[in-house]
Amino acid sequence: VCCILCKTSLKILDEVVACYRHLASCVGGCTDSLQLRDELRQTRDKAQKLAAANCHHLTSHLRDKSLPEEQRKEMELLWVAFSSSLELLHADMCKVFNMGDIFSLANSAVFVQTGIQGGGSEVAARALSMPDLNQAQSPVLPEGLETQERSTMEQEISQVDHMITDMEMKVNVLRWMVESRGPQYAEPLNSTDSASLALLSMDEEQPGAEHEAARHHSQMLMMLLLLAVILLAAALSVSVVIFS
Amino acid sequence: MTIKNAMRDHGQRYRPRMACLKKVGSAVLLEMQDPKTGVKSQLQRLVITTIPHAITGEDIVAWLANKFNISAEEGRSLGTMLVALGYIYPLQDHKRLVVKPDASLYRFQTPYFWPAQQWPVEDTDYAIYLAKRNIRKKGILELYEQEQYNHLHKWMNHKWDFIVMQAKEQYRAGKERKKPDRAVFDCQERAYWVVHRPPPGTVSGMDYGLDRLIDPNAEEVTETDLIFLTFLWLPSLSCFLPRVKSSVSIGALVKFVTTHKNHDPFLAQCLPSNPWVTDDVSYWTLNMANVEIPTKMRVERWTFSFVELLEDPRGRDDFRFFLKKEFSGENLAFWEGCEDLKWGAAAGMSEKAQHIYKTFLARGAPRWINIDGTTMEATVRGLKHPHRYVLDAAQTHIFMLMKKDSYGRYLKSQVFKDTTKNAINPEEQKFTDAQLDQNARNRRPSLSPIAIRQMELEQKAKLAASGPVDITQVMSKLSKQGKDAPPPPPPKK
Repeated sequence: VCCILCKTSLKILDEVVACYRHLASCVGGCTDSLQLRDELRQTRDKAQKLAAANCHHLTSHLRDKSLPEEQRKEMELLWVAFSSSLELLHADMCKVFNMGDIFSLANSAVFVQTGIQGGGSEVAARALSMPDLNQAQSPVLPEGLETQERSTMEQEISQVDHMITDMEMKVNVLRWMVESRGPQYAEPLNSTDSASLALLSMDEEQPGAEHEAARHHSQMLMMLLLLAVILLAAALSVSVVIFS
Repeated sequence: MTIKNAMRDHGQRYRPRMACLKKVGSAVLLEMQDPKTGVKSQLQRLVITTIPHAITGEDIVAWLANKFNISAEEGRSLGTMLVALGYIYPLQDHKRLVVKPDASLYRFQTPYFWPAQQWPVEDTDYAIYLAKRNIRKKGILELYEQEQYNHLHKWMNHKWDFIVMQAKEQYRAGKERKKPDRAVFDCQERAYWVVHRPPPGTVSGMDYGLDRLIDPNAEEVTETDLIFLTFLWLPSLSCFLPRVKSSVSIGALVKFVTTHKNHDPFLAQCLPSNPWVTDDVSYWTLNMANVEIPTKMRVERWTFSFVELLEDPRGRDDFRFFLKKEFSGENLAFWEGCEDLKWGAAAGMSEKAQHIYKTFLARGAPRWINIDGTTMEATVRGLKHPHRYVLDAAQTHIFMLMKKDSYGRYLKSQVFKDTTKNAINPEEQKFTDAQLDQNARNRRPSLSPIAIRQMELEQKAKLAASGPVDITQVMSKLSKQGKDAPPPPPPKK
């Protein structure tokens, strides 16, 4: 049962990390604003809370020597996934921190005209709407000055760094022994969506288009052949009827 | 960057040639995108919506030429550099990272995707990106992307569940955004990966050479070291340093370059084709050690110097054949024996030395070589306690003898003339893109070094078995022909 809890918690962490990445890609662009930074901060806090809880769970389970083999393997898989998530989060946090250096909110003229029009509010809403499994109340950080936020961020980055290092120190997971269980390719989620998105992109990928054309071509040929056969059969039956 | 990520860093972030990125990013690009003084932006019209902040190639070139007071040509190459580094991406023809000075559209890349010196591009992110593309439309990955994906699946297998899950989550999070923003983000990400994982056959602007393990900007030589060097150590050394006049050394360099410049695969064309570029190994098969007919370029190289002739196994074979005809093969055989002693295993060294002495140096030896008295005395003395370099003086003497005497005659000989006449000059191969792809797919590993060594040993055995030209046989043959016979040699041991 603890395994399932870990899994869901990890899945939520992954979602929050994915949302954080989308938000981070807006930093320094023309939609960068105080609101974006705030959303980033909130998403970051949530991710860190989840990460801390996860770390605690996974470490305690993996240090338990009496764990059966099958469960240990599952735990190790989750462990690898969790540490990869953390590394992604760490990388994104470092990037946002650095970009904050160059693109400070005080001088909004330098924001790059990237063509993005909406902010990341929908993404942030998705991240923050994720259930909070830990149930602990998060301390609301005051909307302070940018410098204060930067020092907080620095602290947070070093915290995540320490978490990663601690994890490596406490539990020894041999990565080459861990085998993935999932599929190699992620299943396509929703086919209708891709069609509408395709209308937006200016040049469709060449091999895809070629395959489409080839497929249509062969489909047309098959249809023509079928039609010809049907016509022939009809003509033969009609002639049989007439001449009998 | 104050935070050191020591565990995952592996010291790989020092990529010195990428130091230009900061200048390009912070300086040029921020000015370029200024809505008032930067490049003029316009709307990109798509089927159902319009997206702002598109710029045309000609505007980019004009702005750069104006800003830096340079010609349009230079502005265009500067613009191409910006595109190649990934600061601006083309909206049409996204795989060709050039600036076309016409109305084709470009857009500024978001700072998150800017190339940076301290953040090396992660394979994990690439795997997630490819998985996301596959989610959007199955089978859309190109061949090289497919291969990369499979390769990553093999060696990042432990993370694969995470990669697939993260790809799904990023895709879902992306769906929350408005459609135009999603299209722009997809274009941004795609452009980022075209820069950092270029399709095969394209030149990458991110090619930066080797990773450095130490920070090249860090202070290396401390002050005390500097004092020590300048006042104590260097002056004492300088009187022992060998000195050559720069006119002499530069002259030698110039001479080397002029003779070899047509043979260098970087400076001149490699016939039939450079295997590293086209994946076609005919160049290597034509130039193998034991090939029957050498190529013209190879034969030309033999005329440059005697060392070139001897170093090339095919050349050495040819020379050996010539010497056999002239009945002076013992010099080369002795030289080869000395090389064998120098480079061979330590186990059989004393036996080898003894064998060489008996065959070449002893009085009345079957293949006696002609070296002067002092060298002979020194060598014989040294052979009492043989070591690797005991025959060095004799070898040098014989080498100079061959170089001054036989080499000249070889170059004028019929053997060499025949070889030159029969040498082949392969045609240059021109491959289409499809053929290049096929070549890349048909790459095979070369012959194992063990197999090559066995072949060499077999050849050596064959050579030894064919028998050295015995001076006694030669002399007896000559006496049979009625020439004056020399004093009969002592009986062979």
